[in-house]
Amino acid sequence: VSAERARTEVAPIREQALAAIGAASAVPELARIEREVLGKDGAVGRLLAGIREVPPAERKAFGEAANELKRTLEGALAERRAALEKERIAAERAAEHFDPTLPAPRVERGSLHPMTLVVRRLERIFTSMGYQALDGPEVELDYYNFEALNIPRDHPAREMHDTFWCEGGELLMRTHTSPVQIRALEKGFDPAALPFRAIVPGRCFRNETTDASHEHTFHQMEGLVVGKGITVGHLIGTMKTFLREVFRAELEVRLRPGYFPFVEPGFELDVRCPFCEKKGCSVCKRSTWIELCPCGMVHPRVLNYGGVDPAVYTGFAFGLGLSRLVMLFYQIEDIRHLMGADLRFLEQFPHTR
Amino acid sequence: MKVSYRWLGRHVDLAGIAPAEVANDLTIHTAEVEGCERFAPWLADVVVGHVVERVRHPDADKLSLCRVDVGPRGEGQLLQIVCGASNVAAGQRVAVALAGTALPNDLKIKKSKIRGVESQGMICSESELSLSDEHAGIWVLPGEPRIGAPVSEALGLDDWVIEIDNKSLTHRPDLWGHRGLAREVAAIRGRKLAPLDLAPPRTSAGAPYPVRVESAGCARYLGLVIEGVKNGPAPEWMRFLLLAVGQRPIDLLVDLSNFVMLDLGQPNHLFDLGLLAADGIRVRDARAGERMRTLDGLERVLTAEDVLVCSGDEIVALAGVMGGEGSKVGPETGSVLVEAAAFDPTRVRRTAARLGLRTDASTRFEKNLSPTLPAEAAAHVVSLLRSLQPGLRLPRPAGDAGQWKDPARTVSISPARVREVLGAPIPDAEIERILGALELRLEKRAEKGAEWRVHVPSARATKDLTIPEDLIEEVGRMHGYGRIPVQALQVELHPAPWNERAELVRTLADRLGGAAGFHEAMTYSFVDSAVLAALGLDGERYVRLANPQSAGSERVRRSVLPSLLAHLAKNRRQRPEVRLFEIGKGYLPEHASARHEPLEVHELALVWMAPRPDAGPGFASSAFARLQAVVEDLFRDAGRERPPWTSAPALPAWAHPVRSIAAADGGGQPIALLTTLEPEVQARLDLTGELDGEVACAVLSLDRLLAQPRVPAGYRPLPRFPGVKVDVAAAVPEECSAGGLEQALRAAGKGLVESCDLFDLYRGASLGAGRKSLAYHVLLQAEDRTLTEQDCAKYLARVERALAELGGELRKV
Repeated sequence: VSAERARTEVAPIREQALAAIGAASAVPELARIEREVLGKDGAVGRLLAGIREVPPAERKAFGEAANELKRTLEGALAERRAALEKERIAAERAAEHFDPTLPAPRVERGSLHPMTLVVRRLERIFTSMGYQALDGPEVELDYYNFEALNIPRDHPAREMHDTFWCEGGELLMRTHTSPVQIRALEKGFDPAALPFRAIVPGRCFRNETTDASHEHTFHQMEGLVVGKGITVGHLIGTMKTFLREVFRAELEVRLRPGYFPFVEPGFELDVRCPFCEKKGCSVCKRSTWIELCPCGMVHPRVLNYGGVDPAVYTGFAFGLGLSRLVMLFYQIEDIRHLMGADLRFLEQFPHTR
Repeated sequence: MKVSYRWLGRHVDLAGIAPAEVANDLTIHTAEVEGCERFAPWLADVVVGHVVERVRHPDADKLSLCRVDVGPRGEGQLLQIVCGASNVAAGQRVAVALAGTALPNDLKIKKSKIRGVESQGMICSESELSLSDEHAGIWVLPGEPRIGAPVSEALGLDDWVIEIDNKSLTHRPDLWGHRGLAREVAAIRGRKLAPLDLAPPRTSAGAPYPVRVESAGCARYLGLVIEGVKNGPAPEWMRFLLLAVGQRPIDLLVDLSNFVMLDLGQPNHLFDLGLLAADGIRVRDARAGERMRTLDGLERVLTAEDVLVCSGDEIVALAGVMGGEGSKVGPETGSVLVEAAAFDPTRVRRTAARLGLRTDASTRFEKNLSPTLPAEAAAHVVSLLRSLQPGLRLPRPAGDAGQWKDPARTVSISPARVREVLGAPIPDAEIERILGALELRLEKRAEKGAEWRVHVPSARATKDLTIPEDLIEEVGRMHGYGRIPVQALQVELHPAPWNERAELVRTLADRLGGAAGFHEAMTYSFVDSAVLAALGLDGERYVRLANPQSAGSERVRRSVLPSLLAHLAKNRRQRPEVRLFEIGKGYLPEHASARHEPLEVHELALVWMAPRPDAGPGFASSAFARLQAVVEDLFRDAGRERPPWTSAPALPAWAHPVRSIAAADGGGQPIALLTTLEPEVQARLDLTGELDGEVACAVLSLDRLLAQPRVPAGYRPLPRFPGVKVDVAAAVPEECSAGGLEQALRAAGKGLVESCDLFDLYRGASLGAGRKSLAYHVLLQAEDRTLTEQDCAKYLARVERALAELGGELRKV
């Protein structure tokens, strides 16, 4: 009897419903079929409602058959729904027009002056080697700018400085960062923490006509090391290390004689032009060397002025031309851009490191 | 200074050393070389021609038709050349520029037809070859140079010019002549300096030439009479050497004087003895206002600082700078007085600078030449002249006056110290060799380890070599700095002192130059007077320059902001929105130190220019409000407490009288000042019409910010009970400030208000005139219980009462 019932009552529902599910072409259609077949008043529902009329002996088998039918149809519906969903997504993707080249909305961001960027780079290098970064006044006393640097009144070197003098004659716009050598030694030289190491970035002033390669306001970075047994070899070593860090390349350097009254011996430090591989180019003016910074061993008289005994201590100092370095670094052709406050220039340095 | 390679070769054998190598030697060991170039390179293209035949041009009386043999360059043919000079003649050796040769002054030689006759080149004058001003006729070559050879080679004109940066010779009076530089090359290369006899020449006996020195500006004056002199052109070898170093040959006597200066570095002067008064030479200080006419034909007004060389009543020279016009040598000169002197370097420099008259002589004197040098220069004049004119006579001893002493000195040095400072293991023998090569005589002492006594010769003793470090430099540069081994610093580790201001500057710049969208500018420390006037700041006290670049740029800025404002219009032309900042210094002369240094202040200036916000009450859309948010954020970045904003007490003239706020420190001084530009000022800065916009500015005193207390570091436990959010919209009279309202809203919470944030500001007809509505998100929170709707209702009731007191009311949100 149960086999008979199954054939006559369960099997037709299964076949019909499975055919309808298979033929459904959209999710709402499936929902309708689900209602019609599995809903309260649907075919399976009616089947289950009729269980009371089944003879008790067959009820168990009938119930199992009806439940099995329900599970089968639920499974078929879920499978078909997933397949249709997949098709729908695929169709949507096929219809989508995504333009990978569409520009994004702009995020407003600022910039730091290229001078700041280069100074930061140098400060990072030197402070990591235990140098302190110092600062000094731009309006300076004659004493610090000249006198204490072994450039007394009437010294011919004064004329080369093209000084901006302030009214009154005592003050001037500092012509180099070197006066901070004396100020730093006066204030901060501590024989218990040797060698004394400091760098001083800052603006300097020379009263000369401004053009693409000359500015009356420019930046320098002074470096000073004073201690026991400091030698020219240390100076060369320090400069090589710092250049390697700045340019991220091993660059050849050379020292040649240079005259600055506050150092003895005094040097000019040249670095092999990083742009032309010894071929000569416009940056190095065909010489393959770039003059980078005057430097030397601190003159004993200068140490004396700074309150440091030259019989016990020696030291070296250098004066790096920052404006020139910035121009080299970013290949800026006109020095006037640096102090020009032109957004079209400034915007091009959107780095903070 | 220009140096001739061939001239150096007179003093040191340069065989096997190319000009570029000499230049490099000097660069590495001595002084800065700016260039090394062939002298008159076109002379290598001009060839020696032999005029075989000269006939008149068939169509022009003044032109000649020459047939010229140029050797192999003529390819077996004689060249036909048309020549306009009257001195051309058959049999001459001449300088021929062939077609294709480029001469100075953009003269390019081509084959051409002159009056119908073909000319295949040009027979050159000295002027066309830039060898002299002689252009009256062609240059007839001396002797019988090889036909077809380049003129430079055939006449020994092949030379190289090494240019040395004068600045790098400031401390080396000995290098202002070829002999000094040759001494360097000899020492560098280990060669011998050619001997040069500079002993005083033998003169007839009798009374010396009368010389009186009455000025402290003259340490020594030597006057030597030479008779039996014949002036005329100088020999070719001398003229060409002078040409190579940029001196135009004049005549023998002038050229000889120049040659001796450029050879030994000692300026000297030759007077026509016949034009001097019989009582000789007197050197004296000038009188203020006195006048003289110098050799260049200009009348000069003198001061008491100038030193004069006089003869009788005449001023014959401005000492150390330039001769006078009245006594110069000429073609008729038969006897000369040789002047060789030592003038005070400072006074010469001042005179030259004041008169704008930097001459070869003054440039040398100001380097502090040795007073021993004049005698050597005079001897050199005599011996060179005698080699050309053996018949000259020295009728009386030289007059030699002045107070001077030989600067030669000894300096003690220990070789160990040399090694110590240079950081190089240079052996004693090498140090000895170097000092010897530089003519620095050594005197060793018997005791081991004792210092060496080094005898510094006069020429280097005036200021160059005076302390042991100077000698260390001599050894180092000659040994070669490139040979010093690189050393790394060995240090004990100590933390570097903390630079708080630098750290603050970095933090602020990072914030502004990053997400805040500001661009960092750097502007001059000098601020334009016109800008100051536009801002109403021209009445303030400034540090002023005595020698500004231009009138109006003499003031040193007190504050950074005006400089930024000065650059606004330019940038506004490029961009609708401009955000700039600068961190810099200002100088206040009224707060000077005991040493008269003006007070230095450190400032951050910010400018935000943006299109004016749409009309309407929106409180967050103006540049002012957005800049305020940035400044508040900077305080947080700096980790400093921000005092509450108040109406700014004392405003600068350019600030908006109403739209200005300040956060002041305990002393009432603004740490931050925020304002918009006063409309009239904005117009004066050209920011109107197309360039109009809202300009918000802020000034932060970094000094005061650093002095502010730090926000304490700390942590508050998280709330244990949830809070209640309630929105409050209050309609209040315009006079009621947002600050006051917020205070009332917080007070009404009796400690429960955790936060109170304004999110809307509204004005409109529905509120009635003179009223505004402010809406806040309020968060109520208790530490000990969960708040209920009841708490919320109680709060709103209290708010209602508080608003009533302010003349306002609660609005339905």
